[in-house]
Amino acid sequence: MNLKDCHNFNDFRTLAKKKLPSPIFHYIDGAADDEVTYKRNTLAFNDVDLVPNVLRGVENVDLSTTIFGKKLDLPFYCSPTALQRLFHYQGERAVGKAAQKFNTMFGVSSLATVSVEEISSLVNTPKLFQFYYHKDKGLNNAIVERVKAAKFDVMALTVDTITGGNRERDLRTGFTSPPKLTLSSLFSFATKPMWGINYVTRGKFELPHLQDHIKEGTSTATSIGNYFSTMLDQSMSWKDAENLCAKWGGHFALKGIMSVEDAKRAVDIGCSGIMVSNHGGRQLDGARSPFDQLAEIVDAVGDKIDVICEGGIQRGTHILKALSLGAKACAGGRLYLYALAAAGQAGVERALGQYRSELERDMKLMGCTKISELNRNNLKFRNV
Amino acid sequence: MNLNDCYNFSDFRKLAKKKLPAPIFHYIDGGSDDEETLKRNTDSFSKFDLVPNILASVGEPDLSTKVLGTKIDMPLFLSPVAMQRLFHHDGDKASARAAEKFGTFYSMSTMATSSIEEIANKAGGPKMFQIYIHKTQGLTENLIDRCKSSGFNAMCLTVDTIVAGNRERDHKWGFTTPPRLTLKSLMSFAMHPMWTMNYLTHEKFQLPNVSNFVKKSSSIAKGVMEYINEQYDPAMNWKDAEYCIKRWGGPFALKGVMSVEDAKRAVDIGASAIILSNHGGRQLDGSRSPFDQLPLIADEVGGKIEIILDGGIRRGTHVLKALSLGATACSFGKGFLFALGAGGQRGVESILQKMHDEIKRDMILMGCKSIKELNKSKVTLR
Repeated sequence: MNLKDCHNFNDFRTLAKKKLPSPIFHYIDGAADDEVTYKRNTLAFNDVDLVPNVLRGVENVDLSTTIFGKKLDLPFYCSPTALQRLFHYQGERAVGKAAQKFNTMFGVSSLATVSVEEISSLVNTPKLFQFYYHKDKGLNNAIVERVKAAKFDVMALTVDTITGGNRERDLRTGFTSPPKLTLSSLFSFATKPMWGINYVTRGKFELPHLQDHIKEGTSTATSIGNYFSTMLDQSMSWKDAENLCAKWGGHFALKGIMSVEDAKRAVDIGCSGIMVSNHGGRQLDGARSPFDQLAEIVDAVGDKIDVICEGGIQRGTHILKALSLGAKACAGGRLYLYALAAAGQAGVERALGQYRSELERDMKLMGCTKISELNRNNLKFRNV
Repeated sequence: MNLNDCYNFSDFRKLAKKKLPAPIFHYIDGGSDDEETLKRNTDSFSKFDLVPNILASVGEPDLSTKVLGTKIDMPLFLSPVAMQRLFHHDGDKASARAAEKFGTFYSMSTMATSSIEEIANKAGGPKMFQIYIHKTQGLTENLIDRCKSSGFNAMCLTVDTIVAGNRERDHKWGFTTPPRLTLKSLMSFAMHPMWTMNYLTHEKFQLPNVSNFVKKSSSIAKGVMEYINEQYDPAMNWKDAEYCIKRWGGPFALKGVMSVEDAKRAVDIGASAIILSNHGGRQLDGSRSPFDQLPLIADEVGGKIEIILDGGIRRGTHVLKALSLGATACSFGKGFLFALGAGGQRGVESILQKMHDEIKRDMILMGCKSIKELNKSKVTLR
């Protein structure tokens, strides 16, 4: 199997599984507890059906949309994800360049393995920086300044990782960052030599946004769950978010909002957008899926801020359904991560291209030529 | 595989399966008939989703709650389970001591393999006694009075075991107490030599709470179903329950209440709590799951009587969902029994630690500082 055989999300996942050492594959693929929420994130889309209109003259479809004041050619973008160079040696460079090719937004994690300065010099499409609120306030300030100087367009504060989720696959495989070798993981690394060679020869693994401040930024092996629980500030409050928003001074979003009440408060503190997300099912298992929750949130704040639906998206029709309910755009992590692991930049480009053609085809079949034509009349909820 | 490889309920179950002779494993693992209710007990939690609040500056959440007149450090406790000595040679001692460590209730079954007095001596944490009304005259009074003088904190009367459920796995494996050896079960005992050694070399198997009254309690091999049908009083009625409440005089629960009507009657006769339970799916298959029934019960009697949800709890999030819908606390049987089978006291401590950590983590992720903050607004029906 190679990249040419990948026609959808599941194909990329299968290829990634072949290429990656198992602790790394399961880090991407896994979620919290029984992974009920993870599964539901995608299954939720099946509870609503599309109802097409015909004879609408749909030869030219415009997929562009505007979020955070930036026009994107696609109504979906790459969510920030940590540690991308573990998945492919090109890491963030690959994802950033692919996003640029499709003129969509590129999300960069606080735990990125390439610096914001370098990304800024490589990628000129809209860029979002994902912010973790650390206990170390000096670190927080330094990151804001760097991201400002690197001219990022949006800052998104992650609010659903106050403590690490119970990712049992990581406990079993002993996943840490950088990878620590146990007997069983050693075996898995040994059976995927290409990954190992690239990892060792393509530049030292580091977390450039953190390394001057904390030892976890470089060589100390730590698990992500442990990192969240020990390094992030558990007392983070609305006041802190408001202050950060003011300090940043540009487009600001909260990532991980689920309740209507919190969505309204996000408006009050000056956010220009929110990501409805449960962190890909990786934090609180049993949490509601973003798509299930989307309508309520759009009804409450959809006319005031950009509502972005994030989680479970694996098909163009999923994006179509979320936009029809009122989301301004969609985003996803796994939707490009398996492709990154499978083939670097070429993989991500192929995946984004496939979602684009799916979406274009689906728009035509729905009888729509512009994103703004999508609304709830396109949908029928099944009685479940 | 050993205890260190156990991260959740399924892992402990797997390890227990390796360690226990098959008849004993299946006695714990099985339900009645087609085990529909057993499965639904856990599946029903997926019907409701949690909706977290963010930026709530939670810090260290407080997991304590008050139930049956006792403050416990976490909102989950051990349900009463019969014959624990079969699952591990330390039996009730192991579970009682583990519960004590986590500051939560240990519950003793009438059919326990340790005596009321022995456990009272060996474990200082909160204790509840579960009573079955036997046909034998005087036994009920004897048990109640012994619990009183041994300082038990609460009592519950099981009301869903008038006749035995049809536990087909026990038929299949010839499960009796004490274990009787058939050709098939002999094989399984022989293949689990550690269990068999421990069983034979530690103290004699008996049911000390009833042994002076019921001669069949120790030496004659007897199926649990047969015991229930012979010894328990099927004529038990609301008057009998009221009598027990009066005689006990302390915090008292009815265990196995399912209908709204019965919940109201439990309030009327002065019970302090109801334990919403279908006996872990081991009695009437096809009966509703406690979690499915919880909102109806809470709407009707919430605030007037404590509601304890028992059945299907495998995760911290299950506890959170139950508390959000109006339960005062939760309890589990299989949840700790596999851990007991897998590793005795250490096993039970390990599952309690994991459940404690899960509940705490989930509270933080929900943005809740204390159990009191959990209410209907935290969950949405799918």
